[in-house]
Amino acid sequence: MVDERDLTGKNGVETAYFRRFSRWKLLLIILMAALMLTIFLSLNVGFAQIPFHTVLWILVKRVPFLGSLVGSPNVSYVEETIIMQIRMPRVLAGALVGAALAAAGVVYQGIFKNPMADSYILGVSAGAAVGASLAIVLGIGFTFFGLSTVPIAAFASSIIAVFVVYNISRVGSRVPVTTLLLSGIAVSIFLSAIVAVLQVVAGGKLHVIVFWLMGGFSYVEWRDVWAVLPLVCFGTVATYFFARDLNILSLGEETAQHLGVDVEKVKKLLLILGSLVTAAAVSISGLIGFVGLIIPHITRILIGPDHRILLPTSTIIGSTFLVICDAVARVIVSPVELPVGVITALSGGPFFIYLLRKKKESYTV
Amino acid sequence: MVVLCVDGVDCYYGSVKVLEDVRFSVKERDFVGILGPNGSGKTTLLRSVTRTLKPHRGVILLNDVDVYTLKSSEVAREMAVVPQDTVITFNFTALDIVLMGRNPHLGRFQMEGERDIAVARKSMELTNTWHLAERPINELSGGERQRVIISRALAQEPKILLLDEPTVHLDINNQLEIMDLLEELCIKRGLIVLAVFHDFNLAVRYCNSAILLKEGKIFSAGDVEAVLTSENIKSVFQVDAIVKKHPFTNSLYVIPVSTPKAPLSRNLSVHIICGAGTGTTLMKIMADEGYSVTAGVLNVLDTDYETAQLLKIPVVGEAPFSQITEEAHRANLEMMSKAGAVVLTSVPFGFGNMRNLEAVKEALEKGIPTYVMEEVPIQRRDFTKGKAGKLLMELKRRRAIFVMSQNELLSLLNISEEKLKMAEEVPTKIPGHLKPEEKPRQGDRADDVKSSDHRG
Repeated sequence: MVDERDLTGKNGVETAYFRRFSRWKLLLIILMAALMLTIFLSLNVGFAQIPFHTVLWILVKRVPFLGSLVGSPNVSYVEETIIMQIRMPRVLAGALVGAALAAAGVVYQGIFKNPMADSYILGVSAGAAVGASLAIVLGIGFTFFGLSTVPIAAFASSIIAVFVVYNISRVGSRVPVTTLLLSGIAVSIFLSAIVAVLQVVAGGKLHVIVFWLMGGFSYVEWRDVWAVLPLVCFGTVATYFFARDLNILSLGEETAQHLGVDVEKVKKLLLILGSLVTAAAVSISGLIGFVGLIIPHITRILIGPDHRILLPTSTIIGSTFLVICDAVARVIVSPVELPVGVITALSGGPFFIYLLRKKKESYTV
Repeated sequence: MVVLCVDGVDCYYGSVKVLEDVRFSVKERDFVGILGPNGSGKTTLLRSVTRTLKPHRGVILLNDVDVYTLKSSEVAREMAVVPQDTVITFNFTALDIVLMGRNPHLGRFQMEGERDIAVARKSMELTNTWHLAERPINELSGGERQRVIISRALAQEPKILLLDEPTVHLDINNQLEIMDLLEELCIKRGLIVLAVFHDFNLAVRYCNSAILLKEGKIFSAGDVEAVLTSENIKSVFQVDAIVKKHPFTNSLYVIPVSTPKAPLSRNLSVHIICGAGTGTTLMKIMADEGYSVTAGVLNVLDTDYETAQLLKIPVVGEAPFSQITEEAHRANLEMMSKAGAVVLTSVPFGFGNMRNLEAVKEALEKGIPTYVMEEVPIQRRDFTKGKAGKLLMELKRRRAIFVMSQNELLSLLNISEEKLKMAEEVPTKIPGHLKPEEKPRQGDRADDVKSSDHRG
């Protein structure tokens, strides 16, 4: 009887394993390029018709060295303002928020070992909703480092919500994930009720709250992007350092401990990073559902469960996905804008179901 | 030299004390079995050693360092754990799982290198799972998965291996394969193996020492043969067990004997004449059924004698390998005269135990209902040149009740016992036993003999 191994060569499995690393690198480069392309293309999408080459000129002009080479083409101030001051921050915000939600989703699904976990699981969304609604209702007008009140209130209150959830679940130095999950749900429900109360008393500002809750990037400005960018980038990249720990955590916390993972410390750090990143995202975008739940799943179906590749790919795919959804939301029923959350759900849902049906034999969470 | 020392450990779950003053130490090449009933603290002991459950009192020292002061990765390089069952959330391949065992050896930013893969491969080859390397873990069978998990533990290159019922999901050949592997690692590489077992026989066969836990305390510890005695098993598990040296493996083996749940009480006492193991199951069943059983005459080294001792059945004994003496014979008759029924098993007859047959005849003469089991025809077990056969025919003539199987005997005894009860209630009837309705079937004897041949 011929052993299959003999046919593939003695080191078949090992070589395949190492080839995987270089395949990962290639995959990341391709996905990154796709994201860049998507960002560029979505800059072309909008109510104002701006020719493709004009957009290209505007961008190239800003690249050092290259900008001076191409000279100064005929670009109107209005066009440049639309691209650089309106579309650009909004597209970048979409990219950042998508990245943050998808990364946090992967992290939470990994920690909770629960397919229902998403980036909002610990009450970040409900907390942000309370803060934002409160700021809108009270109409507090101050700014903080140039940022308007609503994002700051949303960010602060979501962090408080997570802090409360975390401390409810804490038993000594440990945080059992089941308790965390349940207290996250309980606190979310409680806070949602407060949001409902705020909506009732909001009077004429009700529509502002409703629009904020639906989520979107209509009001995003550069300063929002600059405020959120470092948090999202740092937080997301920091989670990558715990990718192997997340893999091992899927064997159960006790086993992870036996394999040398400092479970409680890693868990705590990841929860902090995930909440921080999500809170930052939510503060500028409002509540955009689905990305933090579906993108991790889709990515896992496509490339497998290894968090070392799952985390970065999921981040990039989430980023790309939200940029596309936002572009579609802008123009699909132009001149009216649809909430981007509608687009994410309408497009992501069916695609996810398709993948689930197609790969259901091999996909287990 | 690696030493693990557990010193005076108390563990609690909440306010419930589950371990009390547990102390022992193991060193290189020790293969230690942890035994004890459910809830005696076996798994808890492992959990406290693996830093999952911190003891309230006492310390666990790994090479003289308290394990609770070490970093997780430091402990994981010394000590690997194979849990009872493993639920794996995401569908990693078997190789991925085994490579996770390399985690304590890798830095945070380090990817697995050539050596890690080589170690993983070696570990998987040892457990015979390398051919499964690229298969998703959740598609493997329970046994394959357990072997992969053991490979993962070996990939940690530990000095101490802790296992919680490692072979519980495996079938018999896999059990032996894994245990042989552990033994080999223990002997050749000085690996310390500390394993929880439910199976005494695996434990006695492979362990060189054992810890027997009872209600969170060490009941007995030390050399496995000194720990696993039938007395210890009786007092820890409340189970009678026969512990013997196996002739082939030269290790002990343990046969637990179940104790009756609620012994029935019956009025009928039965005297069993047996020998050479023909009465062992019968005595056990009858005792469980609630008959008061006596037996005789049995040689002291006979299996039936040992069974009778174990079941605490009164028995007339005789010196090993010797003829039944007049004295024993008389004691036998004495015991028999008190019985409500006499049973003669299909015991082989030689001149040494002919007296037992004569005793049966006397019982018949005294009017004690007598049952003769004929699972094996007398021709095949008569070593007295036909004397025993003749005597047996005599018994038949005197209306001894011949039965072909244990079940038949038990149902007849049951009927006669019920008649006895009824007779006590209605005293006009003659107290006594079932009279044979007809002569035992003789026509179909030949067929029965054939069908029961293999049992002889």
